[in-house]
Amino acid sequence: MWFPDWRLRRPDTPSGEPCQVVDDRNRVIACNEIAATAGVAIGMQRRSAEAVCPTVVTLASDPAAEAIAFEPILGAMEAVVPRVEPTEPGLAYIPLDGAVAYYGGETATAERIAKELDAIDIDGYRLGVAVGPFSARQAALRATAANPIFIVDDEASFLASLDVSVIDHDDLVATFRWLGIRTLGEVAGLPREAVVSRFGTVGLHAHRVATGEQRRTTPRDVPDDPRVTELFDPPLDNLEQAAFVSRSLASRLIEIAHDTGAVPHRVEIDVEAADGTVRSRTWRTADPFDEGSLAERVRWQLRAWLDSVSGGLRGGLVRITITPADLSGTGRQLGLHEDAASAAEVDRALVQTQALVGMDNVLQARPQGGRDPLDRVSWHRWGEEPSTLERDLDAPWRGRVPGSPPALTPPEPPRLEVEWDTGMPVRVRLGSRWEPVLSWAGPWRRMGRWWLGEEAADRYQLVTSAGAFLCEVRDGLAYLTGVYD
Amino acid sequence: MTTAELADRFRGKSVVQPGEVATPGASSPRGGSVSPVHQGTWGLAPGRTLSVVGPPGFGLTRVGLAALADQSRLGPVAYLDVRGWLCPAAAWEVGIEAHRLIVVRCDNPVPWARVAATLVSGLRAVFAEVPAGAKEAQLRKLAMLAKTHRTALVLRPVHGDIPAGVSYLRLEAAGVDWAGAGDGHGRLEGRRLRFQATGKGVRGMTTTVEFEDHGTDPLRVVSGLAIAPAGHAIG
Repeated sequence: MWFPDWRLRRPDTPSGEPCQVVDDRNRVIACNEIAATAGVAIGMQRRSAEAVCPTVVTLASDPAAEAIAFEPILGAMEAVVPRVEPTEPGLAYIPLDGAVAYYGGETATAERIAKELDAIDIDGYRLGVAVGPFSARQAALRATAANPIFIVDDEASFLASLDVSVIDHDDLVATFRWLGIRTLGEVAGLPREAVVSRFGTVGLHAHRVATGEQRRTTPRDVPDDPRVTELFDPPLDNLEQAAFVSRSLASRLIEIAHDTGAVPHRVEIDVEAADGTVRSRTWRTADPFDEGSLAERVRWQLRAWLDSVSGGLRGGLVRITITPADLSGTGRQLGLHEDAASAAEVDRALVQTQALVGMDNVLQARPQGGRDPLDRVSWHRWGEEPSTLERDLDAPWRGRVPGSPPALTPPEPPRLEVEWDTGMPVRVRLGSRWEPVLSWAGPWRRMGRWWLGEEAADRYQLVTSAGAFLCEVRDGLAYLTGVYD
Repeated sequence: MTTAELADRFRGKSVVQPGEVATPGASSPRGGSVSPVHQGTWGLAPGRTLSVVGPPGFGLTRVGLAALADQSRLGPVAYLDVRGWLCPAAAWEVGIEAHRLIVVRCDNPVPWARVAATLVSGLRAVFAEVPAGAKEAQLRKLAMLAKTHRTALVLRPVHGDIPAGVSYLRLEAAGVDWAGAGDGHGRLEGRRLRFQATGKGVRGMTTTVEFEDHGTDPLRVVSGLAIAPAGHAIG
């Protein structure tokens, strides 16, 4: 079940205007019909899209909010089939083995699902029915608004007819085209040994997809009870705590799985509320879950359940259990110097630190564009997906202070007493003493966004015998904005 | 910037060429004796504690971060930020990749020691600003913990000093000379930092150590004892 425009289904999406949604790498991941007509395409860089369609409204993707909005639909689906496996907001896999027998065929089952969606006033869905997850996804892609249900009758010929571009590996696709191989059927016709010999693991994966052998689990010794459980007394009803717990549980589960060299492709999240209500959801992924992606899914799910939109959990949570399924040996490849034990040790230490100082105080940063040192850093919490960069790193940013940024930048710039002589700084007060200015550079003028009430400012680099400082002069007053420490 | 340009900018002060040996008995700008050293990498070995002492503006943050840059290739580096003033770009410029830097903000001196101990016991490299109220016993325990867990630890007191014997090497700011800025023209380009080094790392002898900082490059030591052969960490 796929909703092509799920990321655009949010209250701030403008109607009647071109609109696009970008991910944290500023890549377009969704756009509406108007934007698509103007030339915006999924996969484009934001700047390119804005170049072809200058009036396009850009929204930053918010996967957590999208997952919460998706929850009622998953709940409705569970009225038809007992288990639904979401992969990402807007995309879910529904195992139909039992339902097909119960409802009397694939068409009847798909129609029953469509009816359920219609009943809750949800439109714009695509249903692809096939034997495996890859084929079902491709079938859903081929469904249209007029015919939202696409049922694959003959799996082999359907796969054989697909273009090689469905293989998610650009270099391999380009090589296949160069060799004159255009469809998955032609890939399947190649001897597997030759494909593996020439293209390695990527080629093997492509050949398996082409022949309909979709991901298989690897038989291996799996711990008797690989699930992880956390009990809460008093019950947990806070989203911040839920996020913290999700990280800790994901860490424990991945660690247990790693001990056997396995990683989960599917996890079942079970919770129990204080009033005895038990809720369960299965999440699936094509790539094996790592700690970050698993923690993210658990957090989305807990937020969705705790959120009042989906009914909430009365009295809060008293138990969370995560059970891994579909374990395979496609584990995470660590760096040459890394080892799993030390990586787990780091995670444990940082989770403990979060508990001591709060999640908002354990941070990571990424470089971004901007005119001032503080603007050129984008912060996000450790363990969470960074949000979209606010400012383009590659833009020219005229008026920025050149050279290395100061090592210390007070978030609230304090006043700095500077003595001026005919517009040139002469002395600066550091603590209780005045230090002569040995040399200085600037000013670099920042105009400020006057339409938002920002004032213009001049930035100066001042050098004294006690170090160099970056100061900003606004309205005749100087402020310390950086210390070159 | 070439070495010749740099020597020109720092007129009257010697610049050691890569691989060269400084002249024995040469004097530092402050007049202290400078011992012969090889050009090499500035870095702190696992389990060692470095303390950097002095007022803001003397390059303590960059020197401390540069000491941990080598360790950042093996795992994340934590910066325990008491003031909330760190600009992470300073760490990126000395060679710590953005995804390897974790900034922990803790302005409360009460849980500070526990937070620092948690980080030291879990990460390979920690830069900890020390708040005013930190006790000597806490600092000694931290240094021991770093030794036990083989964590490279940098202590930087926000006010005051670090008690003697806590750190393997103690660098106290002695001076800074900037190049690049004029009277309203140019921009800050490079600086030479001078420190008084004491502790076991300099065999108990007070020594003047000088660093060159070109902004976008890692720091390099141009004179002083506290340096190991190229490719090896100090200590």
